[in-house]
Amino acid sequence: MSHHLFILSPSDTPIYSLTHYSTKPAAAVTSPLAANLPTWSTSAFAGTLTALSGASSATQHTTSGPVRMGGGQDRHVIQMIANASLDVIEDLVRKENAMYLRTVDKFNEWTVSAFVTPGNVKFVLLHEAKNDDGIRAFFMEVWELYVKAQLNPFHRAQGVIRSGVFDGRVRATAKKHL
Amino acid sequence: MAYSQPHPRLSVLSNSSQSSVDQFSPTSSSARYSLPSAPSIHTTIGSAKPTQGPRPNIYDRNLNKTRIAEVSASSFTFLFSEIVQYTHKRVSGINDLERRLNTLGYRIGTRVLELMVWRAESSSKAPKREIRLVPALMVIHTQVWKAVYGKPADAIEKSVENADEYMIIDNDPPIERNISVPRDLGGLSCSSFTAGIVEAVLDGFGFPARVTAHGTPTAQHPSRTTILIKLEKSVLEREELLKQ
Repeated sequence: MSHHLFILSPSDTPIYSLTHYSTKPAAAVTSPLAANLPTWSTSAFAGTLTALSGASSATQHTTSGPVRMGGGQDRHVIQMIANASLDVIEDLVRKENAMYLRTVDKFNEWTVSAFVTPGNVKFVLLHEAKNDDGIRAFFMEVWELYVKAQLNPFHRAQGVIRSGVFDGRVRATAKKHL
Repeated sequence: MAYSQPHPRLSVLSNSSQSSVDQFSPTSSSARYSLPSAPSIHTTIGSAKPTQGPRPNIYDRNLNKTRIAEVSASSFTFLFSEIVQYTHKRVSGINDLERRLNTLGYRIGTRVLELMVWRAESSSKAPKREIRLVPALMVIHTQVWKAVYGKPADAIEKSVENADEYMIIDNDPPIERNISVPRDLGGLSCSSFTAGIVEAVLDGFGFPARVTAHGTPTAQHPSRTTILIKLEKSVLEREELLKQ
């Protein structure tokens, strides 16, 4: 089961991203879109996506049983889902006064949760299983780390966070809560 | 050896355990003439208290530690005077100078906002943001001013003529306490720095605005300053929609 975190600056430039593979067992999620599509179309998709992602195994579409649509695990698909959720977040930011916006969007097996800091920096997390409390705790810790990163006078507001320590801390937090 | 690389000049005095032969070893004698590198600063600190490890990095520090810490007014005044002089040397006019001070303040403002709200909200289960204009302005008037200057601003006013203008008034801005503007710099207000902070906070809240500072002296308060906030049109339109 994997999680994808994106931190976006107020102008929606990505300043940090993380892919976290949880050791917790993945819940069996049936993606509605994949299940409704005829087998040939999903396998066509899977083939393309596997090819695009540069994966060496082409076995994905030859396996029998329910085909997962390209796994939805390809990097560009993940980014597309994260980007698409920004519209919803933008709407909610104006209406809701909570920082933790909970689930903002769903796409196939992916659920998108978001958190907005007072400075309008967005944390977007793609995940498969429901884990409200864990995600809230995760976002709160990432917020603290982000504030610390930002207090560094050498950090520019729109600048990419390249700190190895920041990365390590976020990974540790992800391991703890996700 | 107790430390991996003690500073050679200090090591002679502070490390009695070190053998005198070390002074003449090629490594220490060559280091003697080299510029002190970054790690040597750490070992200098470490040499006073040998058990202390390397300096904790910024991610280890508790953000609430400096919450009630205060900065000496004189050292701040000194720093700010250097900032103004440095900026003044590199600009062509008053407008340019004010704009640059504003930019410097903006950098402070983005950080003040995040840190201030983090300190207030991080312990709550459902942290809140400010999404309405007037409460946001009140937050600036009270909390931002308190976080930056240690006291709330003196007044907040809405312009009568223009619906998109708000004013925050400080009767005695601490950063201007020791500044007297020469005559040839006419309308300069060093509170442009504060205006930058306000602009950053408003931007963060999602209310883009142009913020400027103007000296509006009265007989009672000679350094009274007005921070003029001119909101963008979109902000007012959104407020109208939210009212319904």
